[in-house]
Amino acid sequence: MPEPIQRRTLSRRVVLGAGALLAAPALLTRRAGAAETCVVGTWGGDYARLLRENIDDPILKPAGVEVIQDVGDETPRFTKLAAQRKLPHGTVDIACLGAVNGYRATDADLVEPLDETKVPNLKHVLPALRMPAFVPHIYSAQVIVYNPANVPNPPQSFGDLLDARWKGKIGMVSTVAQWVMAGASLLETGTTTDFDKAKAFMLKLNANGLRLYPETDALAPAFKSGEIDVGVIWLARAFMWQNAGFPVKGAFPKEGATLYVSGMVLPKNAPNKDAAYKYMNALLEPAAQQGFAAHMGYLPTVDNAPLSGKVGEQLAFPEPRPKLVTVDYAAMSKAMSDLNDWWLKNIQHS
Amino acid sequence: MNRVIEQAGRAGRRREAGAALSLLGPASLLMLLMLVAPLGFMLRDSLNRFDPTEMMIAAVTGENYLRFLVDPFYRSVLYTTIRVSVIVTATCLVFGLPMAWRLARSTSRWKSALVVLTVLPLFIGSTTRTAGWMILFSRGGMLDILSRLLFDAGPGSLMYTEPAVILGIIAINLPFTVLTLQSVFEGIDPRLEEAAASMGAAPSRAFWRIVFPLALPGVLIAAVLCFILCMNAFATPVLLGGPKFQMMAPLLFWAFSGDNNWPFAAALAFILMATTLGLTGLANVVIPRRYRGG
Repeated sequence: MPEPIQRRTLSRRVVLGAGALLAAPALLTRRAGAAETCVVGTWGGDYARLLRENIDDPILKPAGVEVIQDVGDETPRFTKLAAQRKLPHGTVDIACLGAVNGYRATDADLVEPLDETKVPNLKHVLPALRMPAFVPHIYSAQVIVYNPANVPNPPQSFGDLLDARWKGKIGMVSTVAQWVMAGASLLETGTTTDFDKAKAFMLKLNANGLRLYPETDALAPAFKSGEIDVGVIWLARAFMWQNAGFPVKGAFPKEGATLYVSGMVLPKNAPNKDAAYKYMNALLEPAAQQGFAAHMGYLPTVDNAPLSGKVGEQLAFPEPRPKLVTVDYAAMSKAMSDLNDWWLKNIQHS
Repeated sequence: MNRVIEQAGRAGRRREAGAALSLLGPASLLMLLMLVAPLGFMLRDSLNRFDPTEMMIAAVTGENYLRFLVDPFYRSVLYTTIRVSVIVTATCLVFGLPMAWRLARSTSRWKSALVVLTVLPLFIGSTTRTAGWMILFSRGGMLDILSRLLFDAGPGSLMYTEPAVILGIIAINLPFTVLTLQSVFEGIDPRLEEAAASMGAAPSRAFWRIVFPLALPGVLIAAVLCFILCMNAFATPVLLGGPKFQMMAPLLFWAFSGDNNWPFAAALAFILMATTLGLTGLANVVIPRRYRGG
């Protein structure tokens, strides 16, 4: 059996070592007064800003931890974790990942198992979101979003989207292939793992004039102009559009709504593990969780951060409570490459 | 005496070589480190195997290149990229040649202002510029309405189409083409045209028989520049072409970042580079040597 390249190639190690050396000043230089440093690999934009406003400044700074954000996309961040696995010290203390990559990082033994004595707030994490080495930070459900002004009777399930009245009026983002496929599998089989049935469904949906957009915010003008009437996206995004003055609504598919969970992992070779544990605990503080919900519309992953006021109303689940489904991360991560390739050739290129 | 002169000559040549080395050395070394070395790493990566967990498995295999060659989907993406690049290059030359010639021969005091106007689109970042195009192409946008009036096309028909991508790339490449061609025409003595006119040649005949053949090496450079820029276009195909339109650079990024498949992405990069260099070299062969300069 061939050996992973990281175990063989000296040049790669040298290059990574050089990269670590270059990043060393960022890790070693501390502002006066900060006892510890925590380097957080994160997405940029609103997410990074909200981390600063809800976690870094109000919780970590008073505790003497200086947080340095290493902003970038998720895939390169995961790749960096994998490539740095043999280095004694990696370049980040915390890496923000989606739950699928969180599972992959755990499966590849790249990250520390969680220790509840060091992250006491873990006991508040919702049972359905718990993972052995991944702290779930925020989550949202995949729903059918529609403009109530144009759609008085919205679709109630993914299956309804095959109806001829939605022909050419359904929009999605091309980058959520795996999640839409998981939702399609849920419709067809009640599980999130039957990707063959999901493919057959997606071909039918594509034949019904599915429109693909390069990124989520491209859907908003398409809704506004009437180019599409319904879309499949995360409820959190609908919340943000509502707050931006665009009154869309989200319908939970009756077969169940798959959940997108985003969180953080602690690499095994993190240079400042104590600071990283403090960061993970702060992440789950009720005030920090409520701050993210108020600004991004993602739901708290803990049971002690109730939402109230307008945010609480906007993010409240309808009655009867919809079925929320955590996808099978093992199956999804195993099928990911095949799904990406299939989606590119059969849905995008059609 | 002769020996002394010979020794002095040799010493002079050595000094010259030393000076040349000291001037060229740092840049060459930097080039070697920053371009050739990463290319070497990437070539090595392209021969590895992909593994979803381990990312890359050390191997020496051509399967990534073979995957591209045997799969009609990937080949079709390359053909689309070449087709778009050829159309863009031809259009930029057709529009760029008269603009550049007029600019070069202009004696107006507004000449500098015209040159600035030509390059003005390059003052804006490519993503911002493309966002502007998106507004024009989107349903209800000015170009969308115009296209519906002129061609009886459906609403929103321009956005996420190949013509939208072609228009978007032309807007970026045309200034490069015009500037390159203008400097070429500036270097051609206008008295040659005056001489042709004095012998009875009409301006168009003087241009095609005298100026154009002399400008051809420069035209080739402008075309190559335009073609290479287009073959590697990324932001415009992604934003104006949408997910259903595929060109090589976005495909490469998808393999690298979306699919995390570095070996295949590296192979795609080499295929794109080889195709671009090959077609550029072909242009050099097709155009007769006597017009190529040098």
